[in-house]
Amino acid sequence: MSYGVALHVWGERACFTRPEMKVERVSYDVMTPSAARGILEAIHWKPAIRWVVDRIHVLKPVRFESIRRNEVGHRISEVSVARAMKARSTEGLALAVEDDRQQRAATVLKDVAYVIEAHFEMVPGRIGPEDSEGKHLDMFRRRATKGQCFHRPCLGVREFAADFALVEGDLPSPHPTLLEDPWRDRDLGLMLLDIDFANGRRPKFFRAHLRNGVVSVPRLDAPEVRG
Amino acid sequence: MTILQSLVGYYERLEGEGAVPPVGYSSEKISFALVLAASGDVEDVIDLRAQGTKRPEPKVLVVPASFKRPGTASNPFFLWDKTSYVLGVVDAAKKTSAKDPLQDHRAFVEWHLEMLSEADDEGLQALLAFLRRWDPARYPELRHADEMLDQNVVFMFRSGGAPGFLHDRPAARRIWANRVASSNGEQGICLVTGETGPVARLHPAIKGVPGAQTSGASFVSFNLDAFTSYGKEQGANAPVSERAAHAYATALNTLLSKTRGIDAKGRPHYANRVQIGDATTVFWAEAEEDAGAAERMMSWALDPSPTSEDEEALIRTVLQKIEVGRPFADPDELGRTLDPETRFYILGLSPNAARLSVRFYLQTTLGDLARRLGEHYRDLRIEPHAWTLPPALWRLLRETAAQGELDNVSPVLSGELARAIVTGRRYPRSLLSLTLIRIRADGEINDVRAAIVRACLARDYRQGFEQEDVPVSLDPGETNPGYRLGRLFAILEKAQRAALGDVNAGIRDKYFSSASANPARVFPLLLRGAQDHLGKIRSSGKGGLAHWFDQAIGEAMAGLPAGKPFPATLSMADQGRFVVGYYHQRSARTATGESDDATATLTDEA
Repeated sequence: MSYGVALHVWGERACFTRPEMKVERVSYDVMTPSAARGILEAIHWKPAIRWVVDRIHVLKPVRFESIRRNEVGHRISEVSVARAMKARSTEGLALAVEDDRQQRAATVLKDVAYVIEAHFEMVPGRIGPEDSEGKHLDMFRRRATKGQCFHRPCLGVREFAADFALVEGDLPSPHPTLLEDPWRDRDLGLMLLDIDFANGRRPKFFRAHLRNGVVSVPRLDAPEVRG
Repeated sequence: MTILQSLVGYYERLEGEGAVPPVGYSSEKISFALVLAASGDVEDVIDLRAQGTKRPEPKVLVVPASFKRPGTASNPFFLWDKTSYVLGVVDAAKKTSAKDPLQDHRAFVEWHLEMLSEADDEGLQALLAFLRRWDPARYPELRHADEMLDQNVVFMFRSGGAPGFLHDRPAARRIWANRVASSNGEQGICLVTGETGPVARLHPAIKGVPGAQTSGASFVSFNLDAFTSYGKEQGANAPVSERAAHAYATALNTLLSKTRGIDAKGRPHYANRVQIGDATTVFWAEAEEDAGAAERMMSWALDPSPTSEDEEALIRTVLQKIEVGRPFADPDELGRTLDPETRFYILGLSPNAARLSVRFYLQTTLGDLARRLGEHYRDLRIEPHAWTLPPALWRLLRETAAQGELDNVSPVLSGELARAIVTGRRYPRSLLSLTLIRIRADGEINDVRAAIVRACLARDYRQGFEQEDVPVSLDPGETNPGYRLGRLFAILEKAQRAALGDVNAGIRDKYFSSASANPARVFPLLLRGAQDHLGKIRSSGKGGLAHWFDQAIGEAMAGLPAGKPFPATLSMADQGRFVVGYYHQRSARTATGESDDATATLTDEA
């Protein structure tokens, strides 16, 4: 693939929340494809391109830790925002953290590093005369090399910022303890692939397998993808 | 495997044993049965509760499934419910809401009249007759009326011979099966099984987690709108089929309940559950056969609390085998060969009001687990110790908590400690610091505390995070300044006691924390004081003892740098070594033959 990229991402903590355990959060064992897409989009995205994640390499042993955080229980409803816009006043739009605290436990990943292998496709109908594959590829590479991003990419949740570096040439090698770890090959169960935004924001799942430390990601329209 | 997947797997194992209720049914605690006559009169009330214990325990019956009843709307269960629904009576003392006391009963009657409208079974006919004629005002006439209040009640009907439960009658089962089949929710993919089917909107309640609501808490729930995503509502946020939801909830409820285990005295007890800090921990094995034996071993390993002397001997043998790392080569003491490849799951849950959170979820094999436990026990080893069985997790945790109260244990610490034990990774950093803080706060240095401190240091050394090991028993050759100073401190304390007897505030009470943290500030002072103590011992005619102390002090100090024997500060690890050195020296015999008093009292306690 001429416009494929590989991005090394790492961070102190990560939480790729499982949908069934998203209130008292529990992370998936490895990064999900949609989280990987989010990181790529944070670095470079335009309406004319669509990122497709191909493979995720796990570079460090999977370790969990639990933490507790205070969060709020509600969100401000769309209706009251619309009303406020109409009334040209923000009265009644507030959410007082002190009155609406929810302590939530989270079981998160500790000390993670991945390589995301991905490519992008041009989106028919959104391509302008100035768009070309080479241009976007160059933009992504240039931006990733310089550490530029539209917003700080994160590892699943905003609090866990991701560091990143463009991989040119050989992929970084996994942590030595991983090489003999039986964990390198295993069934990760059903994992969220992505949300099908075009069709009622339906979640799409795939059976994730770790083979020699690598998760191969199917395309959203692949036959084995369910949901 | 994910948590839900492995729970569903466990359900399937139980299902194979015929030990769990099928879809549409749940196990409920029922106290009384109303025996109906064909006319609809109540013939008798039978007390189903097990007597003999202090409080009679309700009988666990498989009945048409209960569900959550949020809010004030009345939602009756099928063919059973509490007395407010079945008989229209509420405990006047407990009544708080302005709700119409008969609202629940009316809903129960209406719904059953509708559900049973086409029933021609004589038992169900009797129930219809009962519902039509029952008058709540007649409640006090019933036998057991007082005790029955607010309890769950089922119906029985006699059709020749002994009365049988109404909900067990084939006609009732048919009606319920149709109802369950027709109440299918929206179709969707199940993220547990991967199959398409009706998705559960609300998941069954999980009961039996201490600290959670007694009516049950939710394992999978979205009870506030901040928890939902992409405009989804309730169960659609995490599509799980109704079947899988029933399966995981039933499995979890079974693990949390006492129904699975029978102890040495024939009483039901928790076979698959232990309390680790605030985390109610359940564990289960996945094996072709003898998963139960593996689970029993696990229960001993996590919480060795034997109920008889025979059992204690058995547990000791098993744990000693684990400790020396030779667990499963031979058939175990139960005469069975446990397969080290048996998969093991450990799930720690803690309550958060209406929800349950996962404190930790660990997957391992029996062999691995035994290896890790062996390492843990070896790291904990300290001489002299006062235990016959290695200290259970909760005993370790208690030593880190204020006032020794398990309620004061840091909730995060308990989970992290369990995780460290099972995975063999470093103990949580806060384990060492919290233990040192407790020692500083209350001045007590017992064998469990010393063992915790040693375990933290020994494991860090074994894994390369520490440069120096730490001895198991008194090692006069150990030159680490922390260890030496700990020993010196113990000697100085003994000298004070030999000179003055028991004093109100000895040097340990006054100086232990500063001596272990900032030796240079405290030790010169203590050494001057010791000269006075030795002088006093000499003048009381015990010159030999004074000489012994002199030598002991000299020997302890011999390993310290000559010019500047006392470092200004000690690192956390060296403060830990100080504790271990102090513990070892204090327990050693002195010239008077006096062995340590604290150890002796501890043995009594244990």
